[in-house]
Amino acid sequence: MSLLFSQRKSPGAKRVNAGHGVVMFFIRHLQQALASLGELWRVPASSLLTMAVLGVSLSLPTTLHVLLKNGEQLRSTWDNAAEVSLFLKEHVSKEQAAKAVNRIKLYPQVSKVIYVSQEQALTEFKQLSGFGEALSYLDSNPLPAVILVTPTSQFSSPEGARELLEVLEQQNEVAFGKLDVTWLEKLSAIVDLLKDAVFALGFLLLLAVTLVIANTIRLSILNRREEIEILKLVGATDNFIRRPFLYTGFWYGLIGGVIAWVCVSLMLWSLEGALSALANELDTDLMLDGLAFSEFLILIVLSAWLGWLGAYFSVTRHVNEIEPENQM
Amino acid sequence: MIRFEEVTKVYPGGQQALNRVSFELDSGQMAFLTGHSGAGKSTLLKLVALMERPTSGQVFINGHNLNQITKKQVPFARRDIGMIFQNHRLLMDRSVFNNVALPLIIEGFHLSDIKRRVAGALDKVGLLSKLNNMPHTLSGGELQRVGIARAIVNKPPLLLADEPTGNLDPSLSLEILQVFEDLNSVGVAVLIATHDLGLIARMKYQTFTLRQGKLIHDGLSSTDLRESEFEPII
Repeated sequence: MSLLFSQRKSPGAKRVNAGHGVVMFFIRHLQQALASLGELWRVPASSLLTMAVLGVSLSLPTTLHVLLKNGEQLRSTWDNAAEVSLFLKEHVSKEQAAKAVNRIKLYPQVSKVIYVSQEQALTEFKQLSGFGEALSYLDSNPLPAVILVTPTSQFSSPEGARELLEVLEQQNEVAFGKLDVTWLEKLSAIVDLLKDAVFALGFLLLLAVTLVIANTIRLSILNRREEIEILKLVGATDNFIRRPFLYTGFWYGLIGGVIAWVCVSLMLWSLEGALSALANELDTDLMLDGLAFSEFLILIVLSAWLGWLGAYFSVTRHVNEIEPENQM
Repeated sequence: MIRFEEVTKVYPGGQQALNRVSFELDSGQMAFLTGHSGAGKSTLLKLVALMERPTSGQVFINGHNLNQITKKQVPFARRDIGMIFQNHRLLMDRSVFNNVALPLIIEGFHLSDIKRRVAGALDKVGLLSKLNNMPHTLSGGELQRVGIARAIVNKPPLLLADEPTGNLDPSLSLEILQVFEDLNSVGVAVLIATHDLGLIARMKYQTFTLRQGKLIHDGLSSTDLRESEFEPII
């Protein structure tokens, strides 16, 4: 649009109709995005170095996220192992105990009930404790009968199991009940703490990524000061000058994100070997859960956005500052 | 085309570059602006190109008061003004084509249009054959002509040139001036700042002379303009 000479035909105006204009808008953005990528390609060493810094910075919070995710899963399997032990009063007969077992089985919160008689308890204790023969010198069996109650999954959390324990302790036959969930609660607390720590650390690292990109873009703006001055002299708007830098930031972030994903995947892959060896030793099924596709997408989108954001901070500050002023 | 009304420019720090300067350049007119280094030539051109704002007074281009142009409008106003610099100010890492095409790319022309216009502009300065050269393969005179091609590629009605022949030998300077005359003959207004009095003396164009920020001479460059008007040059 010609501003000073209204009679002058603006060559830009006649070129396109509205619909075509929208298409051209996207084509032009695509062109500029690719041009920015080309600029990065022209200095592969320094571009890659920056991207590697970003990739490593991003891979740390990503790794922490993966560890946390697996920790949570581990916790949920241990949660199900919550078990309520009900120690019966001494004078309770086997019949009374059997009745109590049947009664407890009817509770909707209960999924499994096992009765361990005094004799069974003693045999088990002999086997497991290692005192063996020493115990046979005892006159009477000091061990109480126990009813082991496994809650349904709904009530297997520390709080749910505790609720159930309170209900079951009301039974006449029961002397007292015990719920060994304190270690579960500790684990929960630790996982929660870790979660907070990961969140804070992740935030700091993402901030670092943004600052690294902002600084890189700042340097590249200062390097191209002459070019920016010339662009301003021939009538480029600030937006026009900004755009390639914003795309550069976008690419830094995007490729940094991909590098982070590769780093984390390689690390998980190398851990998997060690883990399966451990699983063989322990005779259990240990599996590391890697990054899901959706998480990969989140990582990429987030890092690209951070790149854009860092570039935006720099560009808004510095492109405005540069004004053509020497020779002329 | 350009009208100055009592324009004063004082730079921060108190240096007075222009002192109540008034003059008018008609549309389609070609004129020279002379004076020593530091006389205010550059400041005057900067005011026209919106690179500086006057401390007081008004600058008009085609009747538009430049004081009313906002910062956001500046790029659009500059698209109507072709600017040529002493050191050509080309992008040395881009080809001649890309340098000349710059104003058109900024305005969002189609590639086919760009090719046609760039070829036209380069043809006008006699450098069509150097289309794909890189600037460092060109001579000083050629670089200056590429700068002119870039300034005229979007056909602005007004051309400003700041010491366009400053780095060139006399025969090349004459060549450059002939390019300006050709452009002027098709209706482009041209304002050339120069201290090359020999150059001006050969031509009968209006000359504005500045001394210490004041306009001291406003007339045809001819025999009445002698070096005695100035303190000796060099």
